Amino acid sequence: MVAYIVRRLLLLPLILFGISLIVFGMIQSLGSDRLLAAYVNPGLLDKLTPNQLEKIKEKYGLKDPMVVRYVKWLKNTLSGDLGWSVVGKEPVKDAILNRLPWTVELALYAIVPVVFVGVWLGMIAAVNRDKFIDHFVRIFAVVGWSFPDFVFGLLVLMVFYSVLGWFPPGNLSFWADTVVKSPEFKRFTSLVTLDALFNGRFDVFVDAMQHLIAPILTLSWLWWAYLLRITRSSMLEVLTKEYIRTARAKGLAENVVINKHARKNAMIPVITVGGGMVIQLFAGTVIVEMVFNRTGMGSFTATAATQLDYASIMASTLFYSLILVIGNLVIDILYAAVDPRIRFS
Amino acid sequence: MRTETKRMIKRLLRNPSAVLGFSLLIFFTVIAIGAPLICPPQSYDPYMIPIVTWDKTPQPPSTEHPFGVIDGRDIFYGVIWGTRTAFKVGLIVTLTSTIIGLLIGSVAGYFGGWLDEILMRITDVFLSIPYILAAIVVTAFLGMGLNKVMISLIMFGWMATARLIRGNILQVREEQYVLAARALGVNDYLVILKHVLPNTIFPVVIQATMRIGSLVITAAALSFLGLGAPVGYADWGSLLNFARNWLLGASGEAFKYWYAIVYPGVAMVLFVLAWNLVGDALRDVFDPRLRG
Amino acid sequence: MKEPILSVRNLRTYFYTEDGIVKAVDGVDFDVFQGETLGIVGESGCGKSVTSLSILRILDEKGRIVEGSIVFDNVDLTKISEESMRKIRGKDIAMIFQEPMVALNPVFTIGEQIVEAIVLHQKVDETTAKKMAVDLLRKVGIPEPEKRVDEYPHELSGGMRQRAMIAMALSCKPKILIADEPTTALDVTIQAQIMELMKQLQREYGMAIILITHDMGVIAENADRVVVMYAGKAVEYTDVKTLFNDPKHPYTWGLLHAIPRLDIEQTRLYNIPGIVPNPLKFPTGCKFHPRCEFAEEKCKSEEPELKEVVNGHLVRCFFWEKVEQAKKKEAGDKQ
Repeated sequence: MVAYIVRRLLLLPLILFGISLIVFGMIQSLGSDRLLAAYVNPGLLDKLTPNQLEKIKEKYGLKDPMVVRYVKWLKNTLSGDLGWSVVGKEPVKDAILNRLPWTVELALYAIVPVVFVGVWLGMIAAVNRDKFIDHFVRIFAVVGWSFPDFVFGLLVLMVFYSVLGWFPPGNLSFWADTVVKSPEFKRFTSLVTLDALFNGRFDVFVDAMQHLIAPILTLSWLWWAYLLRITRSSMLEVLTKEYIRTARAKGLAENVVINKHARKNAMIPVITVGGGMVIQLFAGTVIVEMVFNRTGMGSFTATAATQLDYASIMASTLFYSLILVIGNLVIDILYAAVDPRIRFS
Repeated sequence: MRTETKRMIKRLLRNPSAVLGFSLLIFFTVIAIGAPLICPPQSYDPYMIPIVTWDKTPQPPSTEHPFGVIDGRDIFYGVIWGTRTAFKVGLIVTLTSTIIGLLIGSVAGYFGGWLDEILMRITDVFLSIPYILAAIVVTAFLGMGLNKVMISLIMFGWMATARLIRGNILQVREEQYVLAARALGVNDYLVILKHVLPNTIFPVVIQATMRIGSLVITAAALSFLGLGAPVGYADWGSLLNFARNWLLGASGEAFKYWYAIVYPGVAMVLFVLAWNLVGDALRDVFDPRLRG
Repeated sequence: MKEPILSVRNLRTYFYTEDGIVKAVDGVDFDVFQGETLGIVGESGCGKSVTSLSILRILDEKGRIVEGSIVFDNVDLTKISEESMRKIRGKDIAMIFQEPMVALNPVFTIGEQIVEAIVLHQKVDETTAKKMAVDLLRKVGIPEPEKRVDEYPHELSGGMRQRAMIAMALSCKPKILIADEPTTALDVTIQAQIMELMKQLQREYGMAIILITHDMGVIAENADRVVVMYAGKAVEYTDVKTLFNDPKHPYTWGLLHAIPRLDIEQTRLYNIPGIVPNPLKFPTGCKFHPRCEFAEEKCKSEEPELKEVVNGHLVRCFFWEKVEQAKKKEAGDKQ
């Protein structure tokens, strides 16, 4: 078990190295002229003579050999110097740190309903195979899986904001935002809902939740459908296994057979495939934050992409990949925890 | 084999969701082919939605514009020609990325050793960047537009096929009949080709079919973010992008702009649903092991 | 004559599948006596496994017992509630399966799986149950049982796994042990050890065994009485000596010919012509007639019944006397 995790940890930097190569390669593909934009105010660039441009390129090392530049870039990145964000009008590092908590909050709240409801529905469908509830859940799954998150989000926005007025877009109402930014409001966790509770501001908590529910619903919808499909098919396969027959032959009650013997086995593929999906959910915040006009990592990345803010794009890519790689590691460990065959091999 | 095929088709026809999926696909194909007849193009580029009014405010459906007007453009025209866009993106990206995946996977599986190791680690790296994010970033770097979206989707769309093919080749290599054929001195490339292809073609086709839906969603999402098709291009995602801007400013005005979301939205959901249903049905019939 | 502890009469179990009704078991009769071994023999797909699953009523949802009775301890198991049935499973009638690899749950330790069975049917706490599990493992010949009890199935070899399976089945001292091809998946040397172990435990516990196999050799060495099954039906039922010395059904006769013998000189090994019929398209009349060398017109349209032809020897054939003649002729040829 320990050896297994160590091996996975050793692979981690290798993968991150590969990602950094892709990212760096993409930067280089832009050519040195466009790269200057990351160092010099673009408005100034037109006024400079070619001679001056060359000098600036030399000054920032844009004429150095590829390897030298890669090492330099890597060094900067590792030391947290990610460049200047045009979109955020602040250093990329600060821009990310300011927006990250909003996204983390959204993703964390979404993961819980996704996992529990998705797995639960899948189990119910499998156990009641070909009965009414199974057909119902399967139709829900295939329609849900075909529903693009931004279409669903727009519908949610239309119904719950335009018609009912329950869940407004954005992160917080204006008044709540003022409260949160005031010096009396102490930040303990940087997650607004938790901090509101710690500060005893229940009204702020309610306001933050009102802004969170619609995005959470949108984020969850797609992955519910996916997780329940995986759970259902995995459970159906496990139920045909001989050890299930052994368990029945022992005289165990059907609910013990299903909830103990079948479920633990059925969770193995759910953890690998479903776990990967939960990570993709984090990436799904890009769309959802745009639909609901929220400030966060996702909308930051999308805006940076439309405005060709390269420094921000690169940093976001690295960041999301890091999350994905670490998430995969967590899944592998979970996987080993459930499946003894992996643990000992 | 022919009676076998007949039985498969019979089983497909007995499955109501498969019939629904195929019917929807046929329906969309007819619309895509008949687009010039349903909505005759009015400029040199038929994919640009004609501007019917300079008033930007959305107009609800009327006899003249059955799906309404948004940003001065006819939604009906956009939905009809958007079907072509969806087919174009879905089919080209799926075909190309599948072929790339086939090549990389078979090279890795066939040659094995360090080449396999390197190719598979590269695959891991490509899988370590979330798909939607990779598409956004690469499109941004390539410079936006529908073609750029397609290139980025292809760049990050080959890994699943590559893994599938490699796995199959490795498995077949260990089979008794391949070992036997090799012992007899038959060129093992021929042996593998002969045994891998029939075993692999269905899973690959099924996997590709099931990917088309999510691919079209991702492409539309990029247009929705303003990274894909240019403004005014007949594309469902772009139409929905217009809708979003109006919706965010429309608090309390119940369902005022519903047509701007519902028509392109329904077209998209049905299109994706069609591919997913067909993919599911093919998998159920041809590859019962994957049944879900 | 002593009372049987289990008697199966006219058992019929059908599977209602998408492609039609599969009559997996379609008329099986036998008795099981205390301390004895009943063998059920037949080719794969003849319904012998389904028979055993029917006794325990652990068929999958498509399968149903449509006719017949299974009387155990004066109770018809086909009539009692699921809850009463559960109290019998694992306690009075236990079962072991062909593939110990897949019949043990991979995510629980051997000990956990045995303890579960003990706690379910006996009034003991977990600690005692675990001690009992270790004792059982020792009894079935697993070395270092204190260590093995905490291991997972994949850490044990095939033979050890089957021993663990047996330990689990015996944990509640069942009156009947159903062994479905218990040695088929194992190496030949291990096979003999496992069969020896089962015999020894049978003597010790005085339990009855229902031994299901396709292997005539295993039957000859271990069974006291034998049911021969073909296409879901019992075609011959008698004691083991009679079956081997004096088979009366053409199918049994063919099966025995298919075993290579060292004591007589054979130019060619006999094979029953034809193949096992598709269970969806069983032939009319006697199910064996397309492969039977003695078949006549009558066999194509009418179905013979399982009848006692000699004392304690039941045969399902119209023309069993023909087999007698063939045997005599064969004996004549040898001389």
